[in-house]
Amino acid sequence: MSLLKPFSKLPALNTANILLVESEEQFQQSLADALVEETAVTVNVRLAKSLPLPKENEESRPRIDLVVFIINMTSERSFKSAEASLKYLDPGYFLGKVCFLATNVRNASVPTEYLDAVRKLAASLHCPLLFAEDQTPDGVANATERLLTILKVAAGLVPMATALYVSSLTRCSVPPDIDQPSFD
Amino acid sequence: MARTPLNSIVAQRRSKSKSYRQSYRSCLGASSRLGLTPALTARRLNTSRRAPKSHNITEKLNPEQLALLTKTEWKMSYVTPLYQFRHTQLKSYSRQLSAFIAAEKQQGLAIEVEGSESSFRVSFSVLSGMAETDEDPETVLLQIFSKPMFARQDEPQRSVWSGWLACINGNPDYLRSLPKDFICLPLFGSYGPDALTSVVQSWFQQNFDCYFGPLEINHTIMPPLQITYTINPEDAWELWSSVRKVPQEEKEGKEEEGSSIDIDEVMRFMQGLKSHFYRHFRLDLSVGTLVQVSTALGSAKCNGRIKISNSRYMITTLTLLTEGALLKMPI
Amino acid sequence: MDDLTKRLLQRLIRRMPAQMLKTTLEKWDRLTAAQQQSLDFTQPKWALIETLLTIFEENEFTVKHITELEMLHVINNPNQGMWHAFHLMDPDDTAITVELTQFKEQFKSHLRELVRHVSIKIKKHTDEAVWIRIAWGDGFSKPNHLKPTYVVHHLQTPYVFVTSLTSKQKPLLSQALTLSTRHQGIKDANLSGRKLTAIRDLLMKQYQQVFTTRYPSPLEETNQPVSNPRIEREQAGLLANRLQMACEAFGYGVLPQLQSAVYKLETKYKDDTNKTMTEREEPFRCVVKFASSNLLESIRQCASSGIASTPVTPLLSSIPIKGRNYFVIKDNGLGPS
Repeated sequence: MSLLKPFSKLPALNTANILLVESEEQFQQSLADALVEETAVTVNVRLAKSLPLPKENEESRPRIDLVVFIINMTSERSFKSAEASLKYLDPGYFLGKVCFLATNVRNASVPTEYLDAVRKLAASLHCPLLFAEDQTPDGVANATERLLTILKVAAGLVPMATALYVSSLTRCSVPPDIDQPSFD
Repeated sequence: MARTPLNSIVAQRRSKSKSYRQSYRSCLGASSRLGLTPALTARRLNTSRRAPKSHNITEKLNPEQLALLTKTEWKMSYVTPLYQFRHTQLKSYSRQLSAFIAAEKQQGLAIEVEGSESSFRVSFSVLSGMAETDEDPETVLLQIFSKPMFARQDEPQRSVWSGWLACINGNPDYLRSLPKDFICLPLFGSYGPDALTSVVQSWFQQNFDCYFGPLEINHTIMPPLQITYTINPEDAWELWSSVRKVPQEEKEGKEEEGSSIDIDEVMRFMQGLKSHFYRHFRLDLSVGTLVQVSTALGSAKCNGRIKISNSRYMITTLTLLTEGALLKMPI
Repeated sequence: MDDLTKRLLQRLIRRMPAQMLKTTLEKWDRLTAAQQQSLDFTQPKWALIETLLTIFEENEFTVKHITELEMLHVINNPNQGMWHAFHLMDPDDTAITVELTQFKEQFKSHLRELVRHVSIKIKKHTDEAVWIRIAWGDGFSKPNHLKPTYVVHHLQTPYVFVTSLTSKQKPLLSQALTLSTRHQGIKDANLSGRKLTAIRDLLMKQYQQVFTTRYPSPLEETNQPVSNPRIEREQAGLLANRLQMACEAFGYGVLPQLQSAVYKLETKYKDDTNKTMTEREEPFRCVVKFASSNLLESIRQCASSGIASTPVTPLLSSIPIKGRNYFVIKDNGLGPS
């Protein structure tokens, strides 16, 4: 099993590398197009359907500073695929270099149990959970901006801030009694 | 497909608790559950419930009412508790709502009912016998009648719109927690022109300080490809029996006791159907969303339309929907 | 004109949008220039119907004329109603020599032998298709022009397309068709759809069918170009492979528009985690219906986007390859249906 490791490669100057993992391969493209528009730092985007990543790209792949799992809330498989991919990440990533991005959450009839499952997953791994609107340009711009904020910190481009520190503020948490058994 | 309407609500169920009303407030629909707020109020899933009981409702309702309830596809909504609603005032409400509709029409509201342009007559009545516990307020039936414009004097008026408000097996803790002047009838079913539905709703909102919201039953997006999966009832039953934890024979003996149905069993049943499907079509059904479920009990669509085809399980179905409505409403 | 004739005309006019009515009447070419001029197509339908009724009475048009107009409308708008395909079997040696006049005569006389009251109209369309309109009656009643059956047959091919045929009429039509085309039998082709052109193309393989050739660059066909050098797709190979597989099954041109496909499955239930069901002797019976405004396109999309695993299962790729959309599946493969 080949783990993706956060510090196995040297960083490049003023560069941040982000990996977008999405089983549907729908939202990642528009998000990538918006991310590389960033001018303050050089952003490289890698797109994947799932992990592990192909071995043959290992050479050419830069150090990944942030791994984003895009989960479409209207698809159960989307969640399962993200869950299965997690085990191919080095534990070091979970110190502030992973985040979850849920789409279609406003779809009022997303079963509540999916949302609970995603929140629990994000909380158990101490990762932030972002919500994004993938259908509108505004939504894409918004999501891009939020990802860039996290990415820059994760890539060590923000003085005085570390990924671990920021993640302790932004990580998702779950109400303590979500798992308690019910009365009847 | 195969998730029954009962089961799909199973998963949404939350339990009674002291923070009951508070927890309701936390789920203004999915939008309020967004965000990183660390301390959202508690939401607990009920992962197991008793097998549905059958009720012989035919003794309680007259055949006409029963036919109306079971032969119509109802569009479901939730309603927040009604302030100062009195079951004793129904006659007066009938007059008031008739007048309200007339006034709305005068103001130019287009109420298109085919062939009937004349005035509308509203009738409120009690559907007694539907309430299951002492705490459930009685179900209220609303009907709007109209007569074609050039109809003869003796021609009967025909029903152009029907609706009802009900609370079946409503959570007693929640019902008790309401201030005295509130009546909780959280489930609203309607059938007829949308224009009339919205007039009725706005009359209720103005008079009883309540709010109506959609009661979606499950997923919404329609994939470009629609798949209908119909399973032979005997085979479906055998598959269901094979995933039950309690062997079937044992269970039948204590049917009345109500053996419990576990969410795991439901999941395994669904998984079984999905994997059989995948084996043939190499298509993973969990990619899409379930939009409609039909069983012998009736059908439920994700947009909140339901049809009850078996009167014996009407009470059980409405109990689950009452629960769903209570969970959906913001207070 | 009697009431029935009037009703027939009213129904026909109501079915056609105003603009279509205008062009159809022009093509029909039975109204005088003045009559044509007097029609105002911006009027509401009921007013237009009134005017037309007057004109038809003036010209002493009969049922015959109205059915002629109806046929013209149906031929020009073949993508309405539900069309079912049939397959003629075992041609006689002389089948290849059947030509139009002969077919017309034979078909009419054979069908009239079987049904006492029947009205048949046959017209050859420019695309070589023979269009047949049949209004059925029986021993006692006159032909019902309100519910005609339409049959489309391309001479010298084994294919017949039929719409609005009842099960009672089916054997009668089958017999008349097999005799007049000099075949031994006819069978259901298990293909139906709302678009006649689509099911005809599918059966007669008239659409761009490139199942076996290599595709120069499947990536160009998708809307997922990796445009920016700073964006890299890790599993680009998988994507290309999926597109390749999808195109192998369905080609990559425009696909005929089918609306549905139905599978009746009677196969064994197999699941390692469920011993009871796997050991069961009887098959697991279910019916699966796929529906879409363009079914084949949707399935190709599912395969290329990874929703359906590739290679595409033969069950789905059989739709274009075998030209059918109704299947009965038993464990020994695609069984007879």
